Amino acid sequence: MMTAIINTVATMLKHHWFWGAMTLACLVWYSTITIYIAIKGIGDIRNMLRKLSGSKNQ
Amino acid sequence: MNNFTLVDGGIVGAYLLITMVAGVMVRKYVGKVEDFLLARREMDVYLGIASLAATEFGIVTCMYTAQNGFDKGFAGAVPGILTFLAMFLVGRTGFCIKPLRDSGVMTIPELFERKYGPRVRWASGVVIVLGGLLNMGVFLRIGGDFLVSVSGLDPKYLKVMMTALLVSVATYTILGGMLSVLITDFFQFIVMSAGLIITTFLILYKVGWSTLVDTVQTNYGEGGFNPFVNENMGWSYVIFNALLNTAAVLTWQTQIARVLAAKDSKTGRKVYTGTSFFFVARFLIPGIWGIAALALLTPQQVGGNSLMAMPKMLSIIVPPGIMGLLVAAMLAADMSTDSSYMLTWGSVIYNDIMAPFRKQKWSEKKGLFWNRTIIAVIGVFLLIYGLWYKIEGDLWTYLGITGTIYLSSMSVLLIACCYWKGANNWGATAAIIFGALVPAAILVLQKVGPLTNWFRKNDTSCGVATYIIVALGMIIGSLLKPQSQSPAKGNE
Repeated sequence: MMTAIINTVATMLKHHWFWGAMTLACLVWYSTITIYIAIKGIGDIRNMLRKLSGSKNQ
Repeated sequence: MNNFTLVDGGIVGAYLLITMVAGVMVRKYVGKVEDFLLARREMDVYLGIASLAATEFGIVTCMYTAQNGFDKGFAGAVPGILTFLAMFLVGRTGFCIKPLRDSGVMTIPELFERKYGPRVRWASGVVIVLGGLLNMGVFLRIGGDFLVSVSGLDPKYLKVMMTALLVSVATYTILGGMLSVLITDFFQFIVMSAGLIITTFLILYKVGWSTLVDTVQTNYGEGGFNPFVNENMGWSYVIFNALLNTAAVLTWQTQIARVLAAKDSKTGRKVYTGTSFFFVARFLIPGIWGIAALALLTPQQVGGNSLMAMPKMLSIIVPPGIMGLLVAAMLAADMSTDSSYMLTWGSVIYNDIMAPFRKQKWSEKKGLFWNRTIIAVIGVFLLIYGLWYKIEGDLWTYLGITGTIYLSSMSVLLIACCYWKGANNWGATAAIIFGALVPAAILVLQKVGPLTNWFRKNDTSCGVATYIIVALGMIIGSLLKPQSQSPAKGNE
């Protein structure tokens, strides 16, 4: 499995390295940011709703 | 042939239910117009990134970027790289968006009133809404075409599907405004991203990188990798897209709404820099799907319609289970875009076009009623326009031309408003007139007259010319205004 992934990455960087690197960067960045945003975004929603309900009660 | 099963239907149903419940539940927090339009400017960075990314990726985006991949190869993803650069630089420097957010306005035309007067504000509102709604008008049909093609649904249900989708989106947008949009965008971002990433890995696994590269090489040669040597692209395409995407980053109401809803200008800038690389993915991921369609489908299967090639390919290679996630992802993408677009164009109609009718301050209740009514009317317009308008040619070009109707003039007005003391209402008026007339004339000349072929072939050069003419209009118009009527002594 690991070998197959390494081979794929090597192929992507060998054949038209710019678009290969760009595609890899997209997939790695997008996967990471999705998980990060999914965790941190919940906190943002909680804070936003807390402030909105707080100011509404005042 | 398709792989949409009952399990996939269950995944889609669960997604729709969760989104609707979340969207409707937050309506209780809406008490004022500012809550409705800008979530009382309480949006923080991560929610902003999720919302901006989800809004700027709809089914229509997926379709035209995949079409770009199918028709132009990897070079078709160049607009994404240009948008990334523009958004990153604007976010880092705060160019225009910092003074805009710091001014505390609700819409861009509201800022224009301070520099150019109320008539320019009103005219800007009309141009923004006209350009934005023409642009958005095609979303529904394209989205419906995609879903019907991928899920294998009978095309006669297209209109019913489009209507049901719009009604559900309009319901939570009307009730909760920007709050509902932000909350649903967050869920939609996660579902959409999971679907996009998994489908892309699946395509790379099934088709293989070498096959994708070879397909592009065989069909387009070096032009499939390098836009400057592509016979359908070249310098004018790159320059036009650089101008178009920079203007969109600065003034596209749905993007700017995230800056205006942010807690402060620093948060707005972080949202821009944090989201910027998403725009590469926004073009490259569907572009790869389009190239996979080129590799896998025969010309007979494509049937001369490159726009529908990608959904046809997906209906064949995506297995059950993942198909449900893909359809849910695409529904998420479309719903987040539709809701945000309806809200933001509605905000301009209420805040700027209706401004002359609100000389006496309206109550919050009346303001909310009108905002909700406007969104409902936009929904009806979208249904009608989306059903009868038929796009000819490249979808991205159509969106570019209709978007240019306002992007060219509004970006010039905004830059001049923020950084040129000499700018005045004469220049602004000239820029608005040229910015609306030139793209509209090009759109007409592409359909009628003796030079239709020339205008179709040179559409990007015409687009570049529009930006130059509009900028010249602003400069010459402002300089022509007599000194006695300079801004210091009144613009009107």
